[in-house]
Amino acid sequence: MARTQLIGLIVSLAAGAAGAQSSDRADRAESRTVLGVNDFLAQGAEQIRMRQYDEGIRLTTLGLAQASSINERAAALSNLCAAYAAKGNPDRAIDYCTQSLMLREDNWRAYSNRSYAYYLKGQYRQAHEDLDLAASINPEAPTIEKIRGMINEKSLRPSITMEDHR
Amino acid sequence: MRAPPVLATLSLCLCFAAQVHAHKNRPVATLEPVGTWSCVVYGHPAFGDERVLLDVARDGSVRAAHERDGEISPWVSLTTWYVDDATMTFTDLHDGRRYEADLTFETLGGKWRTPTLLGGWWCSRGEPGLGPKLEKAKLETSMPPLLPSFTATPIYPIKAIREAKQGRAVSCFFVDPDGNVRQPEIVELSDEIFRAPILNALARSRYQPLPGENALRPGCRTFVFRLEPLTGDAVVAE
Repeated sequence: MARTQLIGLIVSLAAGAAGAQSSDRADRAESRTVLGVNDFLAQGAEQIRMRQYDEGIRLTTLGLAQASSINERAAALSNLCAAYAAKGNPDRAIDYCTQSLMLREDNWRAYSNRSYAYYLKGQYRQAHEDLDLAASINPEAPTIEKIRGMINEKSLRPSITMEDHR
Repeated sequence: MRAPPVLATLSLCLCFAAQVHAHKNRPVATLEPVGTWSCVVYGHPAFGDERVLLDVARDGSVRAAHERDGEISPWVSLTTWYVDDATMTFTDLHDGRRYEADLTFETLGGKWRTPTLLGGWWCSRGEPGLGPKLEKAKLETSMPPLLPSFTATPIYPIKAIREAKQGRAVSCFFVDPDGNVRQPEIVELSDEIFRAPILNALARSRYQPLPGENALRPGCRTFVFRLEPLTGDAVVAE
């Protein structure tokens, strides 16, 4: 139960920030891979998922202090990253995501969240790079495509040329 | 002992059914190509856009007369035309272009190709008797000019930007005497996502009118949809 909540938050954060309302089935299925979540982390995740970011950050920070494994620490840091990104503080978000990735470099959510934070800063090249890394780990995650669409929308300039034949 | 005839009968039936199915799926020609046509031929890097009169005869012959500098050249014979699967084909041996027309369209037009080049052409039906002997004064009524007065730009679909889709399309159409675009047909399209914006833009576009004339003027327009990355990270998100 707690694992599902933990995963749901990151997906919800990224999707919520993008304007979507719900997480996806693929992301939920993925949640089974996260292990050993303590109560603070689970409740913090739930609060962030409910968009109560300050409370989520408080609980997750407590959970981080009690984290007993690298996986828990990595997940907690990634969730803090997600919460700060959702709050519109990309610098702190990037810092937490980077710490999370230093513990576990195969965490696609941390890459995805950091990508979103870079997107908020207008650093689209870095955002693309992180998104590519996230996609290389979990190519099925719809969240990644949502963020990629947002980045493309901001970073690509459309032009249409027309030529008449007459 | 009875099995082989049964199998043979069954396979015959299946074969017949397959042929009927294939026949049903074949495109059906709805356009009668015989007649005189006023055409625009585009896509040749050296010739540019050309205005050509085509005379398609019932005996299978095709003649072409090119408009150059306000005059129409003498008729030049092309190869005979034939139709296969609703596609009419003939070749201009002088420049090596093989013309193909899709006879399911409402007018004559399609693609032309050489071993290295590919282009298109589009025609409106001309008055009988059009040809090189035409007086110069009447040229404007037989092959009237097509000058845009307002060219509407399509909207780049936001979904295409999000999915980083680029593309190319060609639409051919008629222009009525009031300058409105009529019967636009998409003759090339790299992605369906661009169809609606193109048709919307064409519906808003206008050409200079030709008061007092009834002729529909053929025209085509190429659209190229491109996405270019904004430079570096200097751009700040809104």
